[in-house]
Amino acid sequence: MRTTVEIDPITRIEGHLAVRLEVDSGKVAQAFSSGEMFRGFEVILRGRSPMDAQQITQRICGVCPISHGLASLGAQEEAYGISLPPNGILARNLILGTNYIQSHLVHFYQLSALDFVDITAVLQYKGSDPVLNNLKSWVKSQLDSTAIFPAAPFLPRYEGRYIEDPEINIGAIRHYLEALEMRALAQEALAVYGGKAPHATALVPGGITERITAANVAKVASIVARLQAFIETAYLPDIMAVAEAFPDYAEIGKGCGNFLAYGVFPEIDGSRLLPGGRVEQGRMMDFDPDKISEDTASSKLSSPSGLHPYKGETVPDPDKPGAYSWLKAPRYDGKPQEVGPLARILVAYLNGDTEVKGLVDGALEALSLPLTALDSVLGRHAARALECKIVADRCAYWVGQLKAGEPACTDFELPASGRGAGLTEAPRGALGHWLEIEDYKIANYQCVVPTTWNCSPRDAQGQPGPVETALEGTPVADPKNPIEAARVVRSFDPCLACAVH
Amino acid sequence: MSHISRRDFLKFSAGLAAALGLAPALSPRVAEALEELAAGQIPVLWLQGQSCSGCSISFLNAEHPSPAEVLTGYISLLFHQTLSTATGRTAVDIVEKSIEKGGYYLVVEGAMPVGMPQACLMGHHPVTDQVARAAAKARAVVALGTCAASGGIPAAENNPTGAVGVPEFLRQKGIPKPVISLPGCPAHPDWLVGTLVHIIKFGLPPLDALGRPLAYYGRLIHDQCPRFADYERENFAEKFGDEGCLFKLGCLGPITMADCTRRYWNRGANTCINAGAPCIGCASPEFARSADLPFYRKGEKPGAKEA
Repeated sequence: MRTTVEIDPITRIEGHLAVRLEVDSGKVAQAFSSGEMFRGFEVILRGRSPMDAQQITQRICGVCPISHGLASLGAQEEAYGISLPPNGILARNLILGTNYIQSHLVHFYQLSALDFVDITAVLQYKGSDPVLNNLKSWVKSQLDSTAIFPAAPFLPRYEGRYIEDPEINIGAIRHYLEALEMRALAQEALAVYGGKAPHATALVPGGITERITAANVAKVASIVARLQAFIETAYLPDIMAVAEAFPDYAEIGKGCGNFLAYGVFPEIDGSRLLPGGRVEQGRMMDFDPDKISEDTASSKLSSPSGLHPYKGETVPDPDKPGAYSWLKAPRYDGKPQEVGPLARILVAYLNGDTEVKGLVDGALEALSLPLTALDSVLGRHAARALECKIVADRCAYWVGQLKAGEPACTDFELPASGRGAGLTEAPRGALGHWLEIEDYKIANYQCVVPTTWNCSPRDAQGQPGPVETALEGTPVADPKNPIEAARVVRSFDPCLACAVH
Repeated sequence: MSHISRRDFLKFSAGLAAALGLAPALSPRVAEALEELAAGQIPVLWLQGQSCSGCSISFLNAEHPSPAEVLTGYISLLFHQTLSTATGRTAVDIVEKSIEKGGYYLVVEGAMPVGMPQACLMGHHPVTDQVARAAAKARAVVALGTCAASGGIPAAENNPTGAVGVPEFLRQKGIPKPVISLPGCPAHPDWLVGTLVHIIKFGLPPLDALGRPLAYYGRLIHDQCPRFADYERENFAEKFGDEGCLFKLGCLGPITMADCTRRYWNRGANTCINAGAPCIGCASPEFARSADLPFYRKGEKPGAKEA
């Protein structure tokens, strides 16, 4: 029997996303992903000073503003012909790295964990931890009260199977609360060199405006050490506990099989901590940015389809017949691509990165899973957690390389015209900004954003986007509680404000 | 409404704040609406319009009380798009039942696309309709962040969706509801938490003519600037990373009312001007509004500098 199941809105992601599922015999036959919010950043940027762009585009997303700021600065710095001093490169890596950590922690604990962890298990808590006892008495008093929605915003939830082991649940609930503290701490470290978070003002062409001092180096180093400890002792073990409790999710949520990463975290020697590349059905392939285009067949835009971002246009057409999303559909050489931590980890793994290989193989061995199991809900969560460790460990190295008293910024002259592309990686995946300057003003600006790739609608050829493909085949045991499908969508860590912009 | 350009800005003197309508004034309507509240958890319904969720992320940076303490000790957060466990139909039901019951404080994050309501949907319906219905049944509305307070970047020049802030939206819809505006891109967590706690413990906070709490928005950033002595001595930074007053790099502290230079961000870690970053006026109604008021003076065309 065929039924239509809607998840509208999908909460615990960033922004406004709706998913429609055509369910046949208890499994998703077809899925349609709709981005439901449009602001028109690319239209607003036209005619402005190009230097405004790194501040304006940070406001595309409050969860990953740094990535937009750095993509914009990458495009500007190419157009202006400037390079950064070592302190500038390192400090920007710390600003971005600490934002990766806060984003990944929020994604697992605040956004995803409540799909697996039973929050009501806190009622069974019998220990002496005052934090858990406070939470327990609050939940209990809420459930005993006449409140319209007791224990909101944590209840109600989809009915379904949650972790049963009370110790694992209570440990994860404790970590939910600690993660709130840790992510705020990561933002504090970000602000040391970024000025504030979210939306860092110290990012400027040529580097950062903040100075490197012994005191701020020590402060960032101290915070990074605490974050490393939390990732090792809480995040990684909790991911393994979820994987052990939900082994079926190593087979649920298989995506389109094409993975794209631009690479991120430049090192002083010009290499990148996480390299760029493309994987097609398990094999490393060439990457040529000229082969990126954006299809608008199913998008609520009247802009022409198939344009390269340098030529891209954004013209809203909310009532366009047949269109079901505000997102464009980015394609590489005509094909959809999954982007994100899994794509980055796969590219690094297949590039022969020994640290990545060791971590991935170790996790797979502990779970008795093959490499191909990474292309799944669990694989995405695991890749994100391993990446979080890799980034935090490298932050500890970068902060040690900063040189107090040396410049963190290069001066420059603004050209009357020019163009540049800033390709980097947001926590959610490959991010590109394309900038064209004429007469000192922005003549064209286009952003192709991770969730635009992942949550893209169907293109003119009818090819679904990666999330739509990953949903196909997902079991839906109870159409009123499609928790399995919600888990698949959340494994991509969608950010809709980013995707539509 | 006309907007100021860099040219106008450079003509400003210290006395201009008053001319911008920033003189303190209480809104009696807000006082009426805030009924006597016993100390305890107040119901809060949090809706997102054209937002980036940055003000939600900023709320999570609250320190004392922490976000968890706020959620379990001060407010009863009926719905929040990013934090609520409920999803899909259940989420829509919660919002609708909350509106039916009324009596909550409505926090709105993001702008309202009045010129193109299809530009923000939830459960197939325009969020503008939802916010209008929710505001009508609220005790008061908190317009959180610059997008909600005055339109922010979605309402910047070219504004393709006809975006406006929440106070303007409610005026257009004829919904006479008191609004407390907490601009800032993002809003500082203390501004939100402090305002909510003030409502719970002491009632209405004193507001200025734009509905902003005087405690946070009562003075110009410039007047509270850690580099004010450099300004007085005409010791100006000429390029990014320099010591000195950031005025010549474009600092908009002289037109922006907020206390970030004293409060600092992220638990005291830093603040823009302290980090050498010119204030970009993110808490100002002029934030990003006009291409003629860019954030940095370095971006000016040659020849424009004497303006």
